[in-house]
Amino acid sequence: MSDHKPLTTPLHQWHGRNHATMGNFSGYSMPLWYASGAKHEHINTIVKAGLFDTSHMSMLTLTGDSSFDLLQRTFSRDLRYCIGKPAAALHTGRAVYGMFFHEDGTVLDDAIITQLGENRYLLVVNAAMGGAVGRHLDEHRTSGCEIDEVTDEFGKIDLQGPAAGKILGSVLADAGAVFAGLSYFSCRGTLFGGDGQEVRCRDGTELLVSRTGYTGEFGFELFMRRDALVSIWEQLLAAGAGNGIVACGLAARDSLRTGAGLPLSHQDIGAWDFGTTPWSFVLPYDAGKAQFSKTFVGGAAVYDNLAQNYTYGFAGYDPRKIAHLHKAAVLDEGDKKIGVVTSCTTDMAIDRVDGTIFSIASPVSAGRPEAFSPRGLSCGFIRVDKALSPGEVVVLVEGKRRLTVEIRTDIRPHRTARRSMEKMV
Amino acid sequence: MKELEELNLPGELMYSKDHEWAKKEDDTIVIGITDYAQDQLGDIVFAEMPEVGSSFEQGEEFGTLESVKAVSEIYLPVSGEIIAINDALEDEPELINEDPYENWIVVVRPSKEEQFDKLLSREEYLETLTG
Repeated sequence: MSDHKPLTTPLHQWHGRNHATMGNFSGYSMPLWYASGAKHEHINTIVKAGLFDTSHMSMLTLTGDSSFDLLQRTFSRDLRYCIGKPAAALHTGRAVYGMFFHEDGTVLDDAIITQLGENRYLLVVNAAMGGAVGRHLDEHRTSGCEIDEVTDEFGKIDLQGPAAGKILGSVLADAGAVFAGLSYFSCRGTLFGGDGQEVRCRDGTELLVSRTGYTGEFGFELFMRRDALVSIWEQLLAAGAGNGIVACGLAARDSLRTGAGLPLSHQDIGAWDFGTTPWSFVLPYDAGKAQFSKTFVGGAAVYDNLAQNYTYGFAGYDPRKIAHLHKAAVLDEGDKKIGVVTSCTTDMAIDRVDGTIFSIASPVSAGRPEAFSPRGLSCGFIRVDKALSPGEVVVLVEGKRRLTVEIRTDIRPHRTARRSMEKMV
Repeated sequence: MKELEELNLPGELMYSKDHEWAKKEDDTIVIGITDYAQDQLGDIVFAEMPEVGSSFEQGEEFGTLESVKAVSEIYLPVSGEIIAINDALEDEPELINEDPYENWIVVVRPSKEEQFDKLLSREEYLETLTG
Protein backbone atom coordinates (compact mmCIF):
# COMPACT_ATOMS: atom_id res chain seq x y z
CA MET A 1 0.00 0.00 0.00
CA SER A 2 2.72 2.42 0.98
CA ASP A 3 4.12 2.55 -2.55
CA HIS A 4 0.84 3.92 -3.84
CA LYS A 5 -0.57 7.37 -3.50
CA PRO A 6 -3.22 7.13 -0.79
CA LEU A 7 -6.85 7.20 -1.78
CA THR A 8 -8.91 10.18 -0.67
CA THR A 9 -12.56 10.86 0.06
CA PRO A 10 -14.54 13.72 -1.51
CA LEU A 11 -13.98 15.67 1.74
CA HIS A 12 -10.19 15.58 1.37
CA GLN A 13 -9.87 19.26 0.46
CA TRP A 14 -12.24 20.23 3.27
CA HIS A 15 -10.04 18.36 5.74
CA GLY A 16 -6.99 20.23 4.46
CA ARG A 17 -8.67 23.63 4.64
CA ASN A 18 -9.69 22.88 8.21
CA HIS A 19 -6.18 22.00 9.41
CA ALA A 20 -6.72 18.31 9.91
CA THR A 21 -3.73 16.25 10.93
CA MET A 22 -3.91 13.50 8.33
CA GLY A 23 -2.85 9.89 8.57
CA ASN A 24 -2.91 6.81 6.39
CA PHE A 25 -5.61 4.26 7.20
CA SER A 26 -6.22 1.18 5.04
CA GLY A 27 -4.80 2.96 2.02
CA TYR A 28 -6.82 6.15 2.55
CA SER A 29 -5.53 9.53 3.64
CA MET A 30 -7.91 10.36 6.49
CA PRO A 31 -8.16 13.04 9.19
CA LEU A 32 -6.79 11.92 12.58
CA TRP A 33 -7.95 15.08 14.33
CA TYR A 34 -8.73 18.70 13.55
CA ALA A 35 -7.49 21.89 15.18
CA SER A 36 -9.46 21.47 18.41
CA GLY A 37 -7.78 18.13 19.09
CA ALA A 38 -8.89 14.52 19.55
CA LYS A 39 -9.70 14.87 23.25
CA HIS A 40 -12.19 17.63 22.59
CA GLU A 41 -13.65 15.68 19.65
CA HIS A 42 -14.07 12.57 21.82
CA ILE A 43 -15.74 14.33 24.73
CA ASN A 44 -17.82 16.59 22.52
CA THR A 45 -19.30 13.58 20.71
CA ILE A 46 -20.44 12.16 24.05
CA VAL A 47 -22.02 15.35 25.36
CA LYS A 48 -23.04 17.12 22.12
CA ALA A 49 -22.33 15.90 18.59
CA GLY A 50 -19.49 14.84 16.32
CA LEU A 51 -19.32 14.54 12.54
CA PHE A 52 -17.13 11.86 10.95
CA ASP A 53 -16.09 11.38 7.33
CA THR A 54 -16.49 7.62 6.85
CA SER A 55 -16.53 7.46 3.06
CA HIS A 56 -13.46 5.22 3.15
CA MET A 57 -15.69 2.32 4.13
CA SER A 58 -16.67 -0.13 1.40
CA MET A 59 -20.25 -0.80 0.34
CA LEU A 60 -21.79 -3.65 -1.60
CA THR A 61 -25.33 -4.36 -2.66
CA LEU A 62 -26.82 -7.83 -3.01
CA THR A 63 -29.90 -8.24 -5.16
CA GLY A 64 -31.87 -11.17 -6.49
CA ASP A 65 -33.86 -14.19 -5.38
CA SER A 66 -30.95 -16.08 -3.85
CA SER A 67 -29.47 -13.13 -1.89
CA PHE A 68 -31.01 -14.31 1.36
CA ASP A 69 -29.66 -17.82 0.87
CA LEU A 70 -26.18 -16.48 0.09
CA LEU A 71 -26.15 -14.44 3.30
CA GLN A 72 -27.47 -17.40 5.29
CA ARG A 73 -24.59 -19.49 3.92
CA THR A 74 -21.87 -16.88 4.52
CA PHE A 75 -22.85 -14.40 7.25
CA SER A 76 -22.50 -15.26 10.94
CA ARG A 77 -26.02 -14.14 11.91
CA ASP A 78 -29.07 -16.27 11.25
CA LEU A 79 -31.21 -13.74 9.39
CA ARG A 80 -34.33 -15.61 10.47
CA TYR A 81 -33.65 -14.88 14.15
CA CYS A 82 -31.55 -11.77 14.64
CA ILE A 83 -33.76 -8.81 15.49
CA GLY A 84 -34.68 -8.09 19.09
CA LYS A 85 -35.85 -10.47 21.80
CA PRO A 86 -37.55 -12.83 21.16
CA ALA A 87 -35.51 -12.96 17.99
CA ALA A 88 -37.41 -12.03 14.83
CA ALA A 89 -36.30 -12.18 11.21
CA LEU A 90 -34.36 -9.40 9.50
CA HIS A 91 -36.81 -7.37 7.44
CA THR A 92 -36.89 -4.26 5.28
CA GLY A 93 -35.63 -1.21 7.15
CA ARG A 94 -33.62 -3.15 9.70
CA ALA A 95 -29.88 -3.74 10.00
CA VAL A 96 -27.76 -6.36 11.72
CA TYR A 97 -24.07 -6.62 12.66
CA GLY A 98 -22.02 -9.77 12.16
CA MET A 99 -18.98 -11.39 10.60
CA PHE A 100 -17.91 -13.12 7.44
CA PHE A 101 -15.65 -16.05 8.29
CA HIS A 102 -13.25 -18.06 6.19
CA GLU A 103 -13.86 -21.80 6.10
CA ASP A 104 -11.13 -22.25 8.77
CA GLY A 105 -12.98 -20.08 11.28
CA THR A 106 -10.81 -16.97 10.96
CA VAL A 107 -12.48 -13.63 10.29
CA LEU A 108 -12.52 -12.16 6.77
CA ASP A 109 -14.26 -8.96 7.90
CA ASP A 110 -17.14 -7.66 9.96
CA ALA A 111 -20.16 -6.02 8.36
CA ILE A 112 -23.46 -4.29 8.92
CA ILE A 113 -26.12 -5.73 6.65
CA THR A 114 -29.23 -3.68 6.00
CA GLN A 115 -32.29 -5.12 4.32
CA LEU A 116 -33.43 -2.57 1.74
CA GLY A 117 -36.38 -4.50 0.32
CA GLU A 118 -37.38 -7.93 -0.83
CA ASN A 119 -34.22 -9.70 -2.02
CA ARG A 120 -32.17 -6.52 -1.68
CA TYR A 121 -29.42 -5.87 0.88
CA LEU A 122 -26.74 -3.26 1.59
CA LEU A 123 -23.46 -4.49 3.08
CA VAL A 124 -21.08 -2.02 4.71
CA VAL A 125 -17.65 -3.52 5.31
CA ASN A 126 -14.28 -2.04 6.19
CA ALA A 127 -12.10 0.29 4.14
CA ALA A 128 -10.51 -1.48 1.17
CA MET A 129 -12.40 -4.70 1.98
CA GLY A 130 -15.12 -4.40 -0.67
CA GLY A 131 -13.12 -6.41 -3.19
CA ALA A 132 -12.22 -9.22 -0.80
CA VAL A 133 -15.73 -9.57 0.63
CA GLY A 134 -17.21 -9.36 -2.88
CA ARG A 135 -14.94 -12.17 -4.12
CA HIS A 136 -15.71 -14.27 -1.05
CA LEU A 137 -19.44 -13.91 -1.65
CA ASP A 138 -18.97 -14.61 -5.34
CA GLU A 139 -17.26 -17.91 -4.52
CA HIS A 140 -20.31 -19.02 -2.58
CA ARG A 141 -22.88 -17.48 -4.92
CA THR A 142 -25.49 -19.42 -6.85
CA SER A 143 -27.45 -18.02 -9.77
CA GLY A 144 -30.07 -15.45 -8.91
CA CYS A 145 -27.89 -13.12 -6.88
CA GLU A 146 -26.03 -10.07 -8.11
CA ILE A 147 -23.14 -8.64 -6.06
CA ASP A 148 -22.13 -5.04 -6.80
CA GLU A 149 -19.52 -2.95 -5.07
CA VAL A 150 -20.88 0.63 -4.95
CA THR A 151 -18.15 2.29 -2.86
CA ASP A 152 -17.20 4.67 -5.67
CA GLU A 153 -20.76 5.88 -6.21
CA PHE A 154 -21.86 6.49 -2.64
CA GLY A 155 -20.38 8.03 0.48
CA LYS A 156 -21.12 8.04 4.17
CA ILE A 157 -21.06 10.60 6.97
CA ASP A 158 -21.54 9.56 10.60
CA LEU A 159 -23.39 12.06 12.78
CA GLN A 160 -23.04 10.88 16.38
CA GLY A 161 -23.89 12.23 19.81
CA PRO A 162 -26.94 13.19 21.83
CA ALA A 163 -27.64 16.29 19.70
CA ALA A 164 -27.50 14.30 16.43
CA GLY A 165 -31.28 14.02 16.12
CA LYS A 166 -31.91 17.73 16.48
CA ILE A 167 -29.17 18.52 13.99
CA LEU A 168 -30.23 16.00 11.36
CA GLY A 169 -33.86 17.00 11.88
CA SER A 170 -33.17 20.53 10.75
CA VAL A 171 -31.54 19.34 7.52
CA LEU A 172 -34.23 16.80 6.54
CA ALA A 173 -37.30 17.79 4.55
CA ASP A 174 -39.68 15.72 6.70
CA ALA A 175 -37.86 14.78 9.88
CA GLY A 176 -41.01 13.69 11.67
CA ALA A 177 -41.73 10.96 9.13
CA VAL A 178 -38.10 9.80 9.04
CA PHE A 179 -37.68 9.67 12.80
CA ALA A 180 -41.01 8.04 13.71
CA GLY A 181 -40.21 4.63 15.16
CA LEU A 182 -36.60 4.77 13.94
CA SER A 183 -35.17 2.37 16.51
CA TYR A 184 -31.52 1.37 17.02
CA PHE A 185 -30.24 -0.52 13.94
CA SER A 186 -33.10 0.52 11.71
CA CYS A 187 -33.05 2.75 8.66
CA ARG A 188 -35.15 4.81 6.25
CA GLY A 189 -34.65 5.64 2.58
CA THR A 190 -34.56 4.22 -0.91
CA LEU A 191 -31.17 5.61 -1.97
CA PHE A 192 -29.97 2.10 -2.89
CA GLY A 193 -33.38 1.07 -4.28
CA GLY A 194 -35.77 -1.15 -2.42
CA ASP A 195 -38.97 -0.55 -0.55
CA GLY A 196 -40.02 1.98 2.01
CA GLN A 197 -40.14 5.73 2.19
CA GLU A 198 -37.81 8.02 0.29
CA VAL A 199 -35.73 10.35 2.47
CA ARG A 200 -34.71 13.77 1.21
CA CYS A 201 -32.99 16.79 2.68
CA ARG A 202 -34.51 20.25 2.38
CA ASP A 203 -32.26 20.87 -0.64
CA GLY A 204 -33.56 17.70 -2.33
CA THR A 205 -30.51 15.50 -1.68
CA GLU A 206 -31.53 11.90 -1.23
CA LEU A 207 -30.26 10.01 1.85
CA LEU A 208 -30.39 6.64 3.50
CA VAL A 209 -30.59 7.36 7.24
CA SER A 210 -29.47 4.53 9.51
CA ARG A 211 -29.55 4.51 13.34
CA THR A 212 -26.11 2.99 13.55
CA GLY A 213 -22.56 4.16 14.19
CA TYR A 214 -19.25 3.26 15.73
CA THR A 215 -19.08 5.41 18.83
CA GLY A 216 -21.50 3.85 21.28
CA GLU A 217 -23.45 7.10 21.21
CA PHE A 218 -26.83 8.02 19.78
CA GLY A 219 -26.66 8.97 16.14
CA PHE A 220 -26.80 8.11 12.50
CA GLU A 221 -24.88 6.83 9.55
CA LEU A 222 -25.96 8.94 6.58
CA PHE A 223 -25.50 7.51 3.09
CA MET A 224 -25.65 9.67 -0.02
CA ARG A 225 -24.33 9.95 -3.54
CA ARG A 226 -20.65 10.78 -3.47
CA ASP A 227 -21.10 14.17 -5.16
CA ALA A 228 -23.44 15.31 -2.36
CA LEU A 229 -21.00 14.63 0.49
CA VAL A 230 -19.34 18.04 0.80
CA SER A 231 -22.63 19.93 0.68
CA ILE A 232 -24.36 17.72 3.26
CA TRP A 233 -21.27 17.79 5.49
CA GLU A 234 -21.30 21.59 5.48
CA GLN A 235 -25.07 21.73 5.99
CA LEU A 236 -24.78 19.48 9.05
CA LEU A 237 -21.95 21.57 10.51
CA ALA A 238 -23.98 24.75 9.96
CA ALA A 239 -27.13 23.17 11.38
CA GLY A 240 -25.22 21.91 14.41
CA ALA A 241 -23.32 25.12 15.17
CA GLY A 242 -25.76 26.01 17.95
CA ASN A 243 -25.60 22.45 19.30
CA GLY A 244 -21.83 22.39 19.57
CA ILE A 245 -21.11 20.01 16.68
CA VAL A 246 -17.44 19.43 15.78
CA ALA A 247 -15.79 17.56 12.94
CA CYS A 248 -13.94 14.54 14.32
CA GLY A 249 -11.08 12.44 13.02
CA LEU A 250 -10.15 8.78 13.27
CA ALA A 251 -8.39 9.19 16.64
CA ALA A 252 -11.63 10.15 18.38
CA ARG A 253 -13.47 7.49 16.40
CA ASP A 254 -11.02 4.90 17.72
CA SER A 255 -11.16 6.00 21.36
CA LEU A 256 -14.96 6.28 21.27
CA ARG A 257 -15.44 2.80 19.79
CA THR A 258 -12.97 1.23 22.20
CA GLY A 259 -14.71 2.72 25.23
CA ALA A 260 -17.96 1.45 23.75
CA GLY A 261 -16.56 -2.10 23.53
CA LEU A 262 -16.68 -2.30 19.72
CA PRO A 263 -14.01 -4.26 17.82
CA LEU A 264 -11.80 -2.93 15.03
CA SER A 265 -11.63 -5.44 12.18
CA HIS A 266 -8.13 -6.81 11.47
CA GLN A 267 -7.03 -5.69 14.93
CA ASP A 268 -9.42 -7.11 17.54
CA ILE A 269 -10.92 -9.67 15.15
CA GLY A 270 -9.15 -10.99 12.09
CA ALA A 271 -6.99 -13.68 10.57
CA TRP A 272 -6.89 -15.93 13.64
CA ASP A 273 -9.32 -18.27 15.37
CA PHE A 274 -12.30 -16.24 16.49
CA GLY A 275 -12.42 -17.96 19.89
CA THR A 276 -14.54 -16.60 22.70
CA THR A 277 -15.05 -12.85 22.46
CA PRO A 278 -17.25 -10.04 23.77
CA TRP A 279 -18.94 -10.30 20.37
CA SER A 280 -20.29 -13.83 20.68
CA PHE A 281 -23.74 -12.38 19.89
CA VAL A 282 -22.69 -12.45 16.23
CA LEU A 283 -22.80 -16.26 16.32
CA PRO A 284 -26.12 -17.89 15.43
CA TYR A 285 -26.74 -19.70 18.69
CA ASP A 286 -30.10 -21.39 18.97
CA ALA A 287 -32.46 -20.61 21.84
CA GLY A 288 -30.66 -23.12 24.07
CA LYS A 289 -27.32 -21.28 23.49
CA ALA A 290 -25.63 -24.62 22.88
CA GLN A 291 -25.78 -25.15 19.11
CA PHE A 292 -25.85 -22.97 16.03
CA SER A 293 -29.24 -22.67 14.35
CA LYS A 294 -27.75 -22.87 10.85
CA THR A 295 -24.63 -24.01 9.03
CA PHE A 296 -22.51 -21.33 7.42
CA VAL A 297 -19.02 -20.84 5.99
CA GLY A 298 -16.55 -21.18 8.84
CA GLY A 299 -19.27 -22.01 11.35
CA ALA A 300 -18.06 -25.51 12.19
CA ALA A 301 -14.49 -24.33 12.75
CA VAL A 302 -15.65 -21.36 14.84
CA TYR A 303 -17.70 -23.72 17.00
CA ASP A 304 -14.81 -26.17 17.44
CA ASN A 305 -12.34 -23.38 18.28
CA LEU A 306 -14.33 -21.46 20.88
CA ALA A 307 -11.77 -22.44 23.55
CA GLN A 308 -8.79 -21.73 21.28
CA ASN A 309 -8.37 -18.20 22.63
CA TYR A 310 -10.30 -15.59 24.62
CA THR A 311 -10.73 -11.90 23.81
CA TYR A 312 -11.66 -9.53 26.64
CA GLY A 313 -12.23 -5.83 27.11
CA PHE A 314 -10.20 -4.10 29.79
CA ALA A 315 -9.93 -0.75 31.54
CA GLY A 316 -6.90 0.61 33.34
CA TYR A 317 -6.57 2.85 36.36
CA ASP A 318 -5.09 5.95 34.70
CA PRO A 319 -4.70 7.30 31.13
CA ARG A 320 -1.42 5.48 30.40
CA LYS A 321 -1.62 3.10 27.47
CA ILE A 322 0.36 0.68 25.34
CA ALA A 323 1.66 2.57 22.32
CA HIS A 324 3.16 -0.23 20.23
CA LEU A 325 0.78 -3.16 20.32
CA HIS A 326 3.17 -5.55 18.56
CA LYS A 327 5.80 -4.99 21.28
CA ALA A 328 3.39 -5.61 24.15
CA ALA A 329 2.35 -8.73 26.03
CA VAL A 330 -0.27 -9.67 28.61
CA LEU A 331 0.97 -11.22 31.87
CA ASP A 332 -1.14 -13.02 34.45
CA GLU A 333 -0.72 -12.55 38.19
CA GLY A 334 2.19 -14.96 38.18
CA ASP A 335 3.96 -12.86 35.50
CA LYS A 336 3.38 -15.61 32.92
CA LYS A 337 2.76 -14.41 29.38
CA ILE A 338 -0.79 -15.29 28.43
CA GLY A 339 -1.50 -13.21 25.34
CA VAL A 340 -1.39 -10.05 23.29
CA VAL A 341 -2.90 -6.57 23.37
CA THR A 342 -5.10 -6.00 20.32
CA SER A 343 -6.28 -2.43 21.02
CA CYS A 344 -5.28 0.14 23.60
CA THR A 345 -6.37 3.74 23.75
CA THR A 346 -7.47 6.29 26.32
CA ASP A 347 -11.17 6.99 26.79
CA MET A 348 -10.82 10.58 27.94
CA ALA A 349 -14.41 10.89 29.13
CA ILE A 350 -14.14 8.37 31.97
CA ASP A 351 -12.40 7.95 35.30
CA ARG A 352 -12.65 5.85 38.41
CA VAL A 353 -14.22 7.14 41.61
CA ASP A 354 -13.51 4.67 44.44
CA GLY A 355 -13.04 1.98 41.84
CA THR A 356 -16.29 2.58 39.96
CA ILE A 357 -16.00 3.95 36.42
CA PHE A 358 -18.08 7.02 35.62
CA SER A 359 -18.39 8.98 32.39
CA ILE A 360 -18.90 12.70 31.99
CA ALA A 361 -22.31 11.62 30.67
CA SER A 362 -23.15 9.65 33.83
CA PRO A 363 -26.01 11.25 35.75
CA VAL A 364 -25.34 12.42 39.28
CA SER A 365 -28.23 10.18 40.29
CA ALA A 366 -26.10 7.19 39.21
CA GLY A 367 -23.50 8.12 41.78
CA ARG A 368 -21.25 10.39 39.73
CA PRO A 369 -19.77 13.12 41.95
CA GLU A 370 -21.08 16.58 41.06
CA ALA A 371 -17.54 17.82 40.56
CA PHE A 372 -16.12 15.30 38.12
CA SER A 373 -13.35 16.08 35.68
CA PRO A 374 -12.09 12.75 34.33
CA ARG A 375 -8.41 12.32 33.51
CA GLY A 376 -9.26 9.42 31.21
CA LEU A 377 -8.61 5.68 31.51
CA SER A 378 -6.72 3.39 29.21
CA CYS A 379 -8.93 0.72 27.70
CA GLY A 380 -8.94 -1.79 24.90
CA PHE A 381 -8.91 -5.50 24.20
CA ILE A 382 -6.56 -8.40 24.90
CA ARG A 383 -6.49 -11.87 23.37
CA VAL A 384 -5.27 -14.51 25.81
CA ASP A 385 -4.93 -18.27 25.95
CA LYS A 386 -6.97 -18.82 29.10
CA ALA A 387 -10.39 -17.83 30.36
CA LEU A 388 -10.53 -14.81 32.68
CA SER A 389 -13.39 -13.37 34.71
CA PRO A 390 -14.60 -9.77 34.88
CA GLY A 391 -12.83 -7.98 37.73
CA GLU A 392 -9.61 -10.00 37.38
CA VAL A 393 -6.49 -7.95 36.80
CA VAL A 394 -3.72 -8.61 34.32
CA VAL A 395 -0.56 -6.67 33.53
CA LEU A 396 0.18 -5.22 30.09
CA VAL A 397 3.89 -4.85 29.46
CA GLU A 398 5.70 -2.90 26.79
CA GLY A 399 9.39 -2.31 27.42
CA LYS A 400 9.73 -0.76 30.85
CA ARG A 401 6.06 0.10 31.06
CA ARG A 402 3.80 -2.15 33.13
CA LEU A 403 0.12 -1.30 33.23
CA THR A 404 -2.27 -3.08 35.57
CA VAL A 405 -5.70 -3.32 33.97
CA GLU A 406 -9.01 -4.86 34.94
CA ILE A 407 -10.97 -7.29 32.74
CA ARG A 408 -14.32 -5.65 31.99
CA THR A 409 -17.50 -6.61 30.18
CA ASP A 410 -18.27 -2.90 29.77
CA ILE A 411 -15.99 0.13 29.74
CA ARG A 412 -17.64 3.56 29.27
CA PRO A 413 -20.96 3.65 31.16
CA HIS A 414 -24.11 5.57 30.28
CA ARG A 415 -23.73 5.48 26.52
CA THR A 416 -26.61 6.79 24.46
CA ALA A 417 -26.60 4.60 21.31
CA ARG A 418 -29.74 2.68 22.20
CA ARG A 419 -31.88 5.54 23.49
CA SER A 420 -35.23 5.97 21.78
CA MET A 421 -35.68 8.68 19.12
CA GLU A 422 -38.50 10.16 21.17
CA LYS A 423 -36.10 10.90 24.04
CA MET A 424 -33.47 12.40 21.77
CA VAL A 425 -35.36 14.88 19.54
CA MET B 1 -0.44 20.24 11.95
CA LYS B 2 1.53 23.47 12.05
CA GLU B 3 3.66 24.60 9.14
CA LEU B 4 7.31 25.26 10.03
CA GLU B 5 6.81 29.01 9.81
CA GLU B 6 3.93 28.79 12.29
CA LEU B 7 6.11 27.20 14.98
CA ASN B 8 6.92 29.21 18.06
CA LEU B 9 10.64 28.65 18.76
CA PRO B 10 11.97 31.37 21.09
CA GLY B 11 15.44 32.55 20.12
CA GLU B 12 16.74 32.72 23.70
CA LEU B 13 16.31 28.95 24.31
CA MET B 14 18.58 26.04 23.44
CA TYR B 15 17.17 22.91 21.79
CA SER B 16 17.88 19.19 21.40
CA LYS B 17 17.35 17.07 18.32
CA ASP B 18 14.85 15.07 20.44
CA HIS B 19 12.62 18.18 20.55
CA GLU B 20 13.30 19.33 24.10
CA TRP B 21 14.14 22.92 24.96
CA ALA B 22 16.51 24.02 27.71
CA LYS B 23 16.95 27.34 29.50
CA LYS B 24 19.67 28.28 31.98
CA GLU B 25 18.46 29.83 35.23
CA ASP B 26 21.37 30.53 37.59
CA ASP B 27 23.03 27.15 38.15
CA THR B 28 20.01 25.11 37.04
CA ILE B 29 18.49 24.24 33.67
CA VAL B 30 14.76 24.27 32.98
CA ILE B 31 13.55 21.64 30.49
CA GLY B 32 10.41 21.34 28.38
CA ILE B 33 9.30 20.13 24.96
CA THR B 34 9.16 22.30 21.86
CA ASP B 35 6.13 23.65 20.06
CA TYR B 36 6.96 21.22 17.25
CA ALA B 37 6.86 18.27 19.66
CA GLN B 38 3.56 19.21 21.27
CA ASP B 39 2.03 19.82 17.84
CA GLN B 40 3.20 16.42 16.58
CA LEU B 41 1.90 14.65 19.69
CA GLY B 42 -1.54 16.22 19.64
CA ASP B 43 -3.56 16.36 22.87
CA ILE B 44 -1.38 15.34 25.79
CA VAL B 45 -3.44 13.38 28.30
CA PHE B 46 -0.84 12.20 30.81
CA ALA B 47 2.65 13.16 31.91
CA GLU B 48 4.75 10.47 33.58
CA MET B 49 7.39 12.30 35.63
CA PRO B 50 10.68 11.24 37.23
CA GLU B 51 11.30 11.30 40.98
CA VAL B 52 12.83 14.47 42.34
CA GLY B 53 16.40 13.56 43.30
CA SER B 54 16.87 11.03 40.52
CA SER B 55 19.75 11.49 38.08
CA PHE B 56 19.97 10.84 34.35
CA GLU B 57 22.63 10.96 31.70
CA GLN B 58 22.36 13.21 28.67
CA GLY B 59 19.98 11.64 26.14
CA GLU B 60 18.47 9.28 28.71
CA GLU B 61 14.71 8.87 28.95
CA PHE B 62 13.42 10.63 32.08
CA GLY B 63 9.67 10.47 31.53
CA THR B 64 6.89 9.95 29.02
CA LEU B 65 4.17 12.10 27.59
CA GLU B 66 0.99 10.34 26.68
CA SER B 67 -1.00 11.82 23.85
CA VAL B 68 -4.21 10.58 22.35
CA LYS B 69 -2.41 8.54 19.72
CA ALA B 70 1.08 8.01 21.07
CA VAL B 71 3.32 7.49 24.06
CA SER B 72 6.39 9.64 23.62
CA GLU B 73 9.56 9.32 25.65
CA ILE B 74 11.20 12.54 26.78
CA TYR B 75 14.97 12.63 26.94
CA LEU B 76 17.14 14.76 29.17
CA PRO B 77 19.20 17.15 27.01
CA VAL B 78 21.91 17.49 29.70
CA SER B 79 23.16 15.08 32.39
CA GLY B 80 22.12 15.93 35.90
CA GLU B 81 19.85 15.57 38.88
CA ILE B 82 16.13 16.36 38.76
CA ILE B 83 15.58 19.01 41.42
CA ALA B 84 11.98 19.97 40.55
CA ILE B 85 9.06 18.67 38.50
CA ASN B 86 6.11 20.71 37.31
CA ASP B 87 3.32 19.37 39.56
CA ALA B 88 0.64 21.25 37.62
CA LEU B 89 1.08 18.81 34.74
CA GLU B 90 -0.16 15.95 36.88
CA ASP B 91 -3.72 17.27 36.79
CA GLU B 92 -3.52 19.32 33.61
CA PRO B 93 -1.03 17.76 31.18
CA GLU B 94 -2.79 19.64 28.37
CA LEU B 95 -1.08 22.81 29.64
CA ILE B 96 1.89 21.68 27.53
CA ASN B 97 -0.27 21.94 24.41
CA GLU B 98 -1.48 25.38 25.44
CA ASP B 99 2.01 26.79 25.99
CA PRO B 100 4.98 24.41 25.89
CA TYR B 101 7.42 27.10 27.10
CA GLU B 102 5.45 28.52 30.02
CA ASN B 103 4.74 24.95 31.10
CA TRP B 104 8.16 23.48 31.71
CA ILE B 105 8.51 19.82 32.70
CA VAL B 106 11.56 19.49 35.00
CA VAL B 107 14.40 21.52 36.47
CA VAL B 108 17.84 19.90 36.40
CA ARG B 109 21.06 20.59 38.29
CA PRO B 110 23.55 19.79 35.52
CA SER B 111 26.54 17.58 36.24
CA LYS B 112 28.35 18.54 33.03
CA GLU B 113 27.74 22.22 32.45
CA GLU B 114 29.49 22.29 29.09
CA GLN B 115 26.72 20.13 27.59
CA PHE B 116 24.30 23.05 27.68
CA ASP B 117 26.44 25.24 25.46
CA LYS B 118 26.64 22.49 22.85
CA LEU B 119 22.85 22.22 22.46
CA LEU B 120 21.26 23.55 19.28
CA SER B 121 20.39 27.17 18.67
CA ARG B 122 16.93 28.03 17.32
CA GLU B 123 18.33 28.11 13.78
CA GLU B 124 20.21 24.81 14.16
CA TYR B 125 17.08 23.15 15.57
CA LEU B 126 14.95 24.48 12.72
CA GLU B 127 17.47 22.94 10.32
CA THR B 128 16.93 19.51 11.88
CA LEU B 129 13.20 19.92 11.22
CA THR B 130 13.64 20.88 7.57
CA GLY B 131 16.44 18.34 7.02
